[in-house]
Amino acid sequence: MKTAVAWMLWLITCMVFILSTRNPIYIMVVLLNLLILGNHLAKKKRNNEWLKHNTFFLLTMIGLSTIINSLFAHSGRNILFTLPKGWPLIGGNITLESLVYGAINGLVISALYLLFNILNLSLQIKQLTRLIPRAFHPIAMMVTIALTFFPSIQQRAQEIKEAQIIRGNPMKKMQDWIPILIPLLVTSLENAIQLSESMTARGYHVQVNKNTNLSLVGLVFGAFSIFSAWILQLYNYPEGILFVLYILGGLIILLTLLHSGKQRTSTQYYKEQWGFSDLTGAVFMSVYLLAYISLLSYNKLPSLFYSPYPNLSFPPLQLLGLLFSVLSIFPLFLSFND
Amino acid sequence: MIKISSLSFTYPQSTTAVFNDLNLEIQPGTMTLLAGASGSGKSTFLRCLNGLVPHFSGGIISGKINVFGSEPIKEGPEHMASRVGFVFQDPESQFVFDIVEDEIAFPLENMAVPRREMHQRVDEIIHEMQLTNIFRKNTRDISGGEKQKVVIASALVCQPQVLILDEPTSQLDPVAANEIIKYIVKLKSQLNLTVLIAEHRLERLLPYIDNILYLTQDQKMVYGHPQKVLPIMDQVPPIIDIAKGLDVFPLPLSAEDFPDEKKRFQPVEKEHPHDENKDSLDPFLDVNNLSVNLSDQKILHNISMQVNKGEILIIMGPNGAGKTTLLRALMGLIPSNGSRHFMGDDMTKMTLTQIIQHIAYLPQNPNDLLFADTILDELKTTLKNHNKSLSPETISAFLKHFGLADFQHRYPRELSGGERQRTAIAAITVHNPKIIFLDEPTRGMDYKAKETLSDLFHEWCRQDKSVLLVTHDVEFAANIADRVAIIEHGKVKFYGSPKRAFQCYPAYQSQTAKLFPNTGWIIPEDIVLTT
Amino acid sequence: MKRRIKRILIDLIVLALGFLGLLSPFIFPQANSAATQGATFPIMISLIIVLCLFIVLFEAQTSLIDNKIMAFLGVLIAINAGLRFLENAIPGPAGFSPVFFLIILTGYFFGSRLGFLMGAMTLFVSALITGGVGPWLPGQMITAGWVGQSAALLKATVDIFKWEGRPIELILLSGFGAFWGFLFGAIMNLWFWPFLGAGQGQGFLQSAGFSQNVQRYTAYYLATSLIWDASRAVGNVIILAALSRPVLKILSRFKLRFSFQHREQSTT
Repeated sequence: MKTAVAWMLWLITCMVFILSTRNPIYIMVVLLNLLILGNHLAKKKRNNEWLKHNTFFLLTMIGLSTIINSLFAHSGRNILFTLPKGWPLIGGNITLESLVYGAINGLVISALYLLFNILNLSLQIKQLTRLIPRAFHPIAMMVTIALTFFPSIQQRAQEIKEAQIIRGNPMKKMQDWIPILIPLLVTSLENAIQLSESMTARGYHVQVNKNTNLSLVGLVFGAFSIFSAWILQLYNYPEGILFVLYILGGLIILLTLLHSGKQRTSTQYYKEQWGFSDLTGAVFMSVYLLAYISLLSYNKLPSLFYSPYPNLSFPPLQLLGLLFSVLSIFPLFLSFND
Repeated sequence: MIKISSLSFTYPQSTTAVFNDLNLEIQPGTMTLLAGASGSGKSTFLRCLNGLVPHFSGGIISGKINVFGSEPIKEGPEHMASRVGFVFQDPESQFVFDIVEDEIAFPLENMAVPRREMHQRVDEIIHEMQLTNIFRKNTRDISGGEKQKVVIASALVCQPQVLILDEPTSQLDPVAANEIIKYIVKLKSQLNLTVLIAEHRLERLLPYIDNILYLTQDQKMVYGHPQKVLPIMDQVPPIIDIAKGLDVFPLPLSAEDFPDEKKRFQPVEKEHPHDENKDSLDPFLDVNNLSVNLSDQKILHNISMQVNKGEILIIMGPNGAGKTTLLRALMGLIPSNGSRHFMGDDMTKMTLTQIIQHIAYLPQNPNDLLFADTILDELKTTLKNHNKSLSPETISAFLKHFGLADFQHRYPRELSGGERQRTAIAAITVHNPKIIFLDEPTRGMDYKAKETLSDLFHEWCRQDKSVLLVTHDVEFAANIADRVAIIEHGKVKFYGSPKRAFQCYPAYQSQTAKLFPNTGWIIPEDIVLTT
Repeated sequence: MKRRIKRILIDLIVLALGFLGLLSPFIFPQANSAATQGATFPIMISLIIVLCLFIVLFEAQTSLIDNKIMAFLGVLIAINAGLRFLENAIPGPAGFSPVFFLIILTGYFFGSRLGFLMGAMTLFVSALITGGVGPWLPGQMITAGWVGQSAALLKATVDIFKWEGRPIELILLSGFGAFWGFLFGAIMNLWFWPFLGAGQGQGFLQSAGFSQNVQRYTAYYLATSLIWDASRAVGNVIILAALSRPVLKILSRFKLRFSFQHREQSTT
């Protein structure tokens, strides 16, 4: 599976799943899947340390979260020990439930982290750059320039450093970095002028967008709409209103960006090639997402909503829930096909 | 065709015009060489033809320019992109993308060419220009010559009628440079282009050009056939100098054109002061069996050479032979085996701080060194680094050697390329080291600047200091070398007198030597003296 | 003038939205069924920030008026991304980041828009290069953007009092760097807070008031990131004190060359 769209779909799907459940079993299954998938992808890129590093990170995160939560939250029935109540904020019972709750948080954070880590592994920088909406074309071009220049800047910095050391620069104080930074800055900026000249000579010019004000109003309006929808959701307003506000906001933003993007008169040379695995992956993930959301809204998956409070109990399991967790590893099967 | 009427231009913030009232017609399908000293306005002129001047540069322009029906002054560079392809000097600072294919497609994207057509045209040009083995590669991973080809392809993908190149070979080694020139000539006839090319090393282009456009220092211009223009130019390649001196007309544009009768001279063996291998008993720098390994690869094998007091040693060789590695190994920057001695002391036991007291190193890009506000500050920095200090009078006298005494308080980056290089050299030698290493100092320099540099070296040698210089420039080397070492594949292929080096090895033959084989003459001055 | 008003308006809107979003765990007490609602906090806050970024970046983009300034900023971003690399290579004390001084100086010298772009896009590009794209990225981008943007305010202050070139300018710049050293960390923690289940009613108490939650957050901040932020602040001070003057000099030399109003031409 190679295309950005397919992977983004996978990302969104898994993200929705992870964020909508607090059931530690499900999350652990997903985490395991991600570790397997990530390791496989990393090995393909000849990175054999990936598993080690990320497992370490995982454990740290879970540990940190567990400790923090247990220190700050004091509800729960299974008290392990008690800190003097006089201590500010952390004084009180340290309960098993709060430990578990913290651990679950850690699991969620780690899963999200791994999710994005895998995205970084599977997509090339270019693909990520091309995801920038067309409405932001000048910024995208600037990013491209920065990415293209980056390696030569590193190299040049090395050369300058060596040249100045040969000249006798002791390289001890912060001031000693001036003879390295300044030539780097000056030479690079002079290159920038040359680059912009070359771009101009080849027909590139930044286009002034008409109707920026209108677009800005659109974006602000859309943002407010979504924001207010969320706040209202927190206050349990009826679903109909929420739905309308969310969709309205989303549509306005989308339309604004599309309209603004169309103003740019240039074409794109690169087009992502969709292979069989991309198609399969995209379809599969869409079906998964739709199925999941419908089951969720019809309350067919109560096992998702687990809480250790007030009394610790073993989390409930449903076959469907397990199925959804396990299927997050789907791209792995596709990659054997690649 | 290109028609220019009454063209005048002044840069913003400048009081003198770059050129005044230029009138010119360039016929389609011709190749025109732009010649003239640095600063005479060649680059400015070229940029007028696609509108970069004045749209990109600012300034005040008057007159009319018509390039195959378009008017760059009116339309601006964005619209001229499909008429005029422009190639600049440094390929690396022209790359927007990191993949060759994307870079070539860039102009088409800007002109909103539909995707299918874009792919077609890019494929076409990749095949025409024989880039099929690199078009998927990263723009940083290809050679200098290939980089320049990519730039040319990107300029030509819009199918312009005019191709302009502003010193395209300055950053290339001689092999790549010659290849690019032949390439351009081929493209010109293949695609029926009108080509304008600015270049310092005129001898590379003389055989192929139809006309020369010569810009003089006093804003005048001469345009015409090489036979008409060459005689009135100050700075000409050695072969033309020789021809003028020997009264050979019409002027030969390449060694083959040189008429045979004129070549039949009595070969008078000229005494070169450094004919014999003067391996003296106490050399400044003594290198024996130096080897360098980097990640299990032998980069240098058994290099032995000497640099004596007051001597200039030139190191030559193809790209990748290990010349820069040699310099760095000699400085002790990278580990090496074998012995290095400076004035009898074992360098392997010296720290870098100690070594740099005696040896100065000018990197390939002297701008890398300059960071201070004034030339004086640059010198003071080096002095401070070495815990030395000099009186203002001493410093002034020192700067006088470089012709920079009047610029003491100027900002180095505002000076010309040659002046900046000399500033860098002054900055690294102000603490009076005995030897200076230079890595390719003559890139992109015109003849006058090279002369000034040679004078500088000769002055040093008079002060009993030595020079170790890596260069591709055979003519420059022939002028100043006392000893020559040729390195190929990390081994010393030749080490000995310049006479033998520049006569006997075809890749390193100077023009004089090519014309007069078996005479021992390597620079025009040799001939003039003995006939 | 009209442009100014528009800019300030946009800035205020984005600030309002952004901070409302970041502070929402403190402001909006929970209704019932915390389990479902709470989980929305982290992702919704990230989404709000992304939308804020859209707004500001869209507006800031209009300052990229020609190829020169775009290449200029692109190269500066590349240099800054390179410095970020150094962050991992050179073992400074944790939190020390050489990235901020260029952001501050760009905003200081070239104005709020370009400062914002410099900050946000530095973080973006270095995330792309190091493979660090993640849900934290929008928060990082907008905060770094604010660093650059606010530097323009500092410049305005210096201009009013005509302190340019005087030692106090340097002191202000260094102080500014110290201030943001801490504030950056505080804001990033604000972003991270909901992920620790803060919105879920157990990191907070459901019935706890605003001030109680603030207390909890302060404790969390002190415990986890104070050292990081302190070393970042100190680092900024040292770098800015040493490097501001030379860099500002270079920027001013280039400003003329990148000047895009020089298109006077007359055809006679």
